[in-house]
Parts: sequence; structure tokens; C-alpha cells
Amino acid sequence: MDSLGFLLHGFETALTWQNLLYCLLGVSFGMFIGVLPGLGPTAGTALLLPLTFALEPVSAIIMLAGIYYGSMYGGTITSVLINTPGEAASLITCLDGHPLAKQGRAGVALGIAGIGSFIGGIISIVGLVLIGPFLANQALKFGPPEFFALVILGLSLLLGLMGKSLLKGIIGALFGLALAFIGQDQSSGIIRFAFGQTELMDGFDFISIAMGMFGLSELFLNAEQSLKGKAPAPPKVKGLLPNKEEWGPSMKAIGRGSVLGFLIGLIPGTNSVIPTILSYSMERKLSKDPSRFGKGALEGVAGPETANNSYCGGALIPLFTLGIPSSPTVAVLLGAFIMHGLTPGPTLFQKNPDLVWGIIASMFVGNAMLLILNLPLANVWARITMVPFKLLFPIIIMITIVGTYSLNNSMFDVGAMLVFGILGYLFKKAEIPLAPIILTFVLGSLMEKTLLQSLTIFKGDFLGFFTRPISGTILSIAILTLLFSIVTSIRNKRVITEDVEM
Amino acid sequence: MKNLGVYMALFFLLFSGIMFWEASSMDYYSEYGPGPGFLPLWVSGFIFVLSVVYLVVALKKEIILISKILPKGEGLVNVLVCVGSLILFMMIVPFVGFLIGSAVTLFILFMRGYRWYWSACLSVTVAFVIFWVFGVVLQVPLPVNDFGW
Repeated sequence: MDSLGFLLHGFETALTWQNLLYCLLGVSFGMFIGVLPGLGPTAGTALLLPLTFALEPVSAIIMLAGIYYGSMYGGTITSVLINTPGEAASLITCLDGHPLAKQGRAGVALGIAGIGSFIGGIISIVGLVLIGPFLANQALKFGPPEFFALVILGLSLLLGLMGKSLLKGIIGALFGLALAFIGQDQSSGIIRFAFGQTELMDGFDFISIAMGMFGLSELFLNAEQSLKGKAPAPPKVKGLLPNKEEWGPSMKAIGRGSVLGFLIGLIPGTNSVIPTILSYSMERKLSKDPSRFGKGALEGVAGPETANNSYCGGALIPLFTLGIPSSPTVAVLLGAFIMHGLTPGPTLFQKNPDLVWGIIASMFVGNAMLLILNLPLANVWARITMVPFKLLFPIIIMITIVGTYSLNNSMFDVGAMLVFGILGYLFKKAEIPLAPIILTFVLGSLMEKTLLQSLTIFKGDFLGFFTRPISGTILSIAILTLLFSIVTSIRNKRVITEDVEM
Repeated sequence: MKNLGVYMALFFLLFSGIMFWEASSMDYYSEYGPGPGFLPLWVSGFIFVLSVVYLVVALKKEIILISKILPKGEGLVNVLVCVGSLILFMMIVPFVGFLIGSAVTLFILFMRGYRWYWSACLSVTVAFVIFWVFGVVLQVPLPVNDFGW
């Protein structure tokens, strides 16, 4: 009941006119980058982060969170209409969404995706309201060994699931961790790996790395194609609601997708593609006629689209309660919290209830806004796909420069962004996943701090982690996950998903 | 050698080698517990060992030919122009300020898809709009010259 009271209070914060405006700006920009191939949610969120310096923390995070879940809605439109996912979580929607568009039923596909996304989004926020405070209370009992074990579990799951090669994933993760060592050491105060450069004494800025690896590198990849062609006009969207007999199976798929997405979001280290794949295969298995899938089955759109939006709410729980981001985009949100002087983690619900509940309440409002933006305005969003890349990419490059420069008023950050952009481009070509690099970089200081504190507690004995029930159990799961990944990798039976941002 | 994997492995070998060398000069253990060199030494050591494995795999099993994955012709020029324009921007902006620096950079980028007169119009317009929106309306600090633009 306490949660309900706090939530109602949160609505007071979320429904002020300026927070409504920032929420609308966030979800609209999220829709925009979701529709736009070439600019992902990580770079999009990072891009707006420096512009929120002057805002109240609650308004800033309401806007940035809006970009995160808004981009999930936007990605669907291009998947259905032009068979090109705007972001990775909508990849699976192409399978049945585009065949539906070819049958002249693009409106129905977008309609059910919008309704499913809304229901999934709302259910996951209800889950966040119910589970978040409880988990935060439990996490208050955690010490450094438990936090260290949790970080390791998240990373082992991430490595186990992401990218084609486990070896490259581990090297990438360790590379990100090594980058986090550059600058002043928190415990001893010693400057490490700065090589006499004053700019390196504070280490690399997270935004420079995120913007370079996820923003610039993506622009370089897109620039490889000819810039002289014209984008084809997307098909007209009409008739947004399914037939009478399609409602039942679609609503069941939405229900299953909501639960699945939310549960997977709770596990640190997962990404938004996993619930969409699982939801799609579950719907196909449960269908009376699985042969319809791939030819325009509405459940094949409803389930995965619900699951990826439901995942978003679930994925915010590890951030709010433990301070552990599960994906690069959530890591940018973590950066936003820190930039505004807040520390996500178990004490957030106690120390900043107005902020947390304001953000949660804004997500209800934001999802309602997205439903309105999505359904009647689908044709308008579809036309954005016609904006030529040759016009967009110079503007995006210039805005990324402005965003990165404004972090510290330093051209060094712009240079760092360029270097990480080139590295990200080459890493993508060499099939080295980028998400582990960003996540270990963000979690590096927490990981080092908790490891050193734990080893001090255990007097240097690493086995001490296994003498505490929670850290011992979590670390055992992490080790088993890694061993399982290594064995399946050797046997070439590893289930892999694409390296994604969300 | 035209194998990208080999170059990537060599990059990680060099990176971890330098880091290991530096970390070995820091305190591994202090009187209160592990020192500032403890984790960097282990992490760089692991990267080094794994990079050697990566190098072997890249040479024997996973050959990624540069000629197959890097663009050619117009695509390659586009990517190089993107990189070059960013370097140019960083070089000229301390002298000419944001408006001229960004207009020149944008002009080079727009030239990849538009005729020169369109590129000139677009670059000047976009530079002014970005300057006004970010610098004037949002009060975001921009790399300006002594005249404030």
C-alpha cells in the first residue's frame, strides 16, 4: 500500500506541465530514433544527456527514460513498412510484420504492435512498482562481496549470450574494464595510465566512448552505402484494428509477451532481443497452425513487440534497486543519474522517493503518449524513413560533436569520440561485440571498488566470497554460466543473439 | 597480411602489454589490502593471454579478409571523408570558431550527396541553426572564437 501512496505522489511530479513537456519530448525523440536507421538509442540518449545539464534531475531523467522506451515503439514502424528494423529489438517483427504490410494490412500490424507495446509497457511498470521497493530493501543488506558477485553474474550472462565468439566477447569486456582504470584510482588517489596527459587524469568520459562506439561507428557503416539513391515511399497505413476472430489469439500473445519480457528484464546482462526471440518461438509452438508464421501471423507481431516493451520496465529494476545497468542504453541512464548527483542503488527509493516515483509515474504517462503518437500518426512517422541519409548524417555528426564537446568544454572529448568511433567501426567488422565494452567500462569502478573492499574483508582470500551465502550462490551461478557458455561454444551449440544496445 | 583479425589481436596485445608494463610499476598490495596495481595487472595479463589465443584463432580458423569487409570506391571515400572532416573540424575550430568551422565541415560532408551550391546553402543554414539552438537557446558551451561565434 505504501507503494501506491508513493506512486500517487509520483503522479503529482510527473503531471506538472514542464515534466509532461519533457516526457513528450523524450518519447517523441525516442520514436524518431527508433524510426531512423543509423542512430541508435544509446547514441540518441547520450546525445541529449549534455543538454539536460540545466534541467531538474527528475525532468532530465523523465526525458531520457522516454527516449529509451520510446525507441522500442518507433523501431516497429520501419520493420513493418520497409522490412528494416529501426533498432535490433524489432528485428523479429520483420518476419510477420512485413508480410502483413504486403497483404495491405500494415495498419493492423502497427495497431496490434502499438496496443501490445502499451499493455506490455504498463504491466512491466506495475511490476516495477510492486517488486522495485521490495528488491531495494533486500539489496540494503548487500555488502561489497554481494555487489561484486552481482556484477560478475551480469557480465557472465552478457558474455554467454552475446556475439558470435565467446573469446572476442571476453576480450572486449576486459578491454572496457581496462579503459575504466585510466585516471585517478578511487582508493589510493594515484593517477593511473594517464601518461602525463592532464586530460586523461579524470579518465575517458563515458559519453565519448558511448557516442563513438554506438553513434559514430554506426554512421560510418551507413556511409558505406551510396548516398545518391532515394528512399522508396513506404506503403500507406490504414485500418488499425484486427478482425474479431484475431483479437483472442493476439491478446493471449500480448499477455504471454508481457510476463516473458518483464521476467527477462529482471536478469542483469540480458538484452531486449532475447524476449522477442523467445516470445516468437513460444507463439509459434503454441499456435494451432505454426505454418502461418513467417507469412503474416498477427501473434508473431503482437507477442515479440509486447515482450520488448515489457522488457524495458523490467530492465530498469536492476538499475533502480542495485545500480547495475543491463544494457548500454540503461548505462547512459545510469550516467544521467550520476551526472545529476544521484546514485542509483538500494538507497535510491529511500533517499529520493520523489524522483524515483516521479520517473515511474512518468512512464505510465509516456506509454499513453506513445500509444497516441503511434496509432493515429503512423503515416507521419513512416514518412520520416524517406528523409535521405545524405541530408541527415552531416547534421547528426555535427550534433554529436556539440554534445561531446559540451561535456567538459574540451576538444579532447571530441577526439576521444572519433578514436572510439573508428575502433567501434573496426570492432564491428571484426565481430567483436561492443555492449560488453561499454558495460564493463561503466561498471569498472564499482567492480574494482567492491572487489578490493571484499578482498580486504577476506584478508586476500578469494574463496571468502563463497563463505557468504548470497555472494557464494551468485558467483557459483556466474561461474556455471561461463562454463556452460565455454562448453557450448566448443561444441558449436551456443545460442547467440546479436550485439545490441538495448 | 590482409587479415583484420590479426591486426585486432596485435592491437590488444600492444594495449595489454603497455598496460601490464605500467601496472607492474604500481603497488600490488598495500598494508590495507590490494593496491592500485592489483586489478590492472590481472586484467591486462588476461587480455594479453587471450589476445595470443585470438591471434592463433585469427591466423588459423577465423580469417576475416580486409578486402571483403572494408568498403571500396564511393563507400570507402564516404567513410574517409567522415573521419577526415571530424579531424579537420578539430584542427580549424580553435582558430576560426564554431560557425566557420562547422560550416566548412558540413560543406565537405554535404558534398558527398549534393551539388556544391546546395551543399553551400545547407551547410551555412545548418551551422547557423545548430549555433542558435544549442549556443543561444539551450546555452550549451560551444568552441567559439574571440568574437563569440
